[in-house]
Amino acid sequence: MEKLLDTFLLMLDGSEITLEIFFLTLLAALPLGMLAALGRLSSLRLLSRLVELYIWIMRGTPLMLQLLFVYFALPMVGIRLPDIAAALLAFILNYAAYFAEIFRAGIQSVPKGQYEAARTLGMSYPQTMRRIILPQVFRMVLPPVSNETINLVKDTSLVYILAMNDLLRVARTIVQREFDMTPFVIAAAFYLSMTFVLTWGFKKLEAYYGKYEQ
Amino acid sequence: MENMNNEEELMLCMHDIHKSFGDLEVLRGIDLEVRRGEVLAIIGPSGSGKSTLLRCINKLETIDSGRIEIKGETLAETDDSGKAVYVEAKKGRRLLSSMGMVFQQFNLFPHMTVLGNLLEAPMMVKGLRREEIEPYARELLQKVGLSDRADYYPSQLSGGQQQRVAIARALCMKPDIMLFDEPTSALDPELTGEVLRTMRELAAEHMTMVVVTHEMGFAREAASHVLFMADGSIVEQGRPAALFGHPQEERTRSFLQNML
Repeated sequence: MEKLLDTFLLMLDGSEITLEIFFLTLLAALPLGMLAALGRLSSLRLLSRLVELYIWIMRGTPLMLQLLFVYFALPMVGIRLPDIAAALLAFILNYAAYFAEIFRAGIQSVPKGQYEAARTLGMSYPQTMRRIILPQVFRMVLPPVSNETINLVKDTSLVYILAMNDLLRVARTIVQREFDMTPFVIAAAFYLSMTFVLTWGFKKLEAYYGKYEQ
Repeated sequence: MENMNNEEELMLCMHDIHKSFGDLEVLRGIDLEVRRGEVLAIIGPSGSGKSTLLRCINKLETIDSGRIEIKGETLAETDDSGKAVYVEAKKGRRLLSSMGMVFQQFNLFPHMTVLGNLLEAPMMVKGLRREEIEPYARELLQKVGLSDRADYYPSQLSGGQQQRVAIARALCMKPDIMLFDEPTSALDPELTGEVLRTMRELAAEHMTMVVVTHEMGFAREAASHVLFMADGSIVEQGRPAALFGHPQEERTRSFLQNML
């Protein structure tokens, strides 16, 4: 019983890295994704093309490869980042690309008539985006963003290849040392409870922002 | 109008308007004038360019060549190269702000209540404080018969109610000219009456209106002037009694026959 508690506490410690990567990635990737979406939809062709290229690369290569690249390849050209920063850089760039596509689809799904109505009422483009378009986009992207967010919880486990002691790596270490499978079950319970909280939170958000829908 | 008072202020003047979408010429030299208090109804088969013409008035579509004047001030004019040039943005916005528009699909803001829809532009664009404009907004809702729906969301209203909110929303910016783009075409037949009634009331209060419509009854009874368009040109125009009673052109006659 005491051993179980020890295992639990060790893993709680490991979940710290997991949560840190999770929250910091979300915090940075959501606004960055919105900027990228606006850039992608920009009438400046060059900007739109550059963002498209960025999204293609980020979605077209494995996140694992991106992590390894930032961690091992960048130092070779003289860019040396602390472990956690390297992992975060890869996560943020990767997730911002996915969020960008979600936001782009959301923005494009708002009917043209909304822009026209705002325009005939004299609203400027920034006013239209802020007051009319984005609140509707926000509601529409909640389900896909929720999906990506849950993916992120699980993707954080990829940092184990960078020798960072996240939840999964701690679990594996104990399993190998003690030859006991319980840590894997506990890890699963940790991930499941994080996902549970997220699912519940997004459900609340959807209900709140969906109150205008019949 | 028999006693059409030519002294009344010219609210809108369009001259030799041309507009193409790619190779398709949708407006082939349109001229029209609307004076204060007039109700101009534009009728014609679909694809005749009437909606495009209306959307050119408030720059939702830009013209290729021609001249547009709002209350005597130039909004766009053909320059030496033969292309229409619009006035600088600030003046353009001022001229456009004197016009309100009602759309076929209502285009209410779904995430705002009825009252929120009305207050949004006066507060954001004119910078009015809520207490400065809310009494007027509520007055307008009363006028369109929806004062008890102020806190509803658009999705909770019928199509006819939504369109009446859209009319009130446009009026809340105190426009001098109201543009209607087939305001009843998306409505079930039993709901068109309430919207047309609201529009008739507006006309009776001498609001200047340009209405693209398939409602021949409305054009006949509420319009001061009717314009029949086909294939991007004005085929025939005149007072409703004359145009509906004694159409001069064969094209007009066959269109009206089909509508009845």
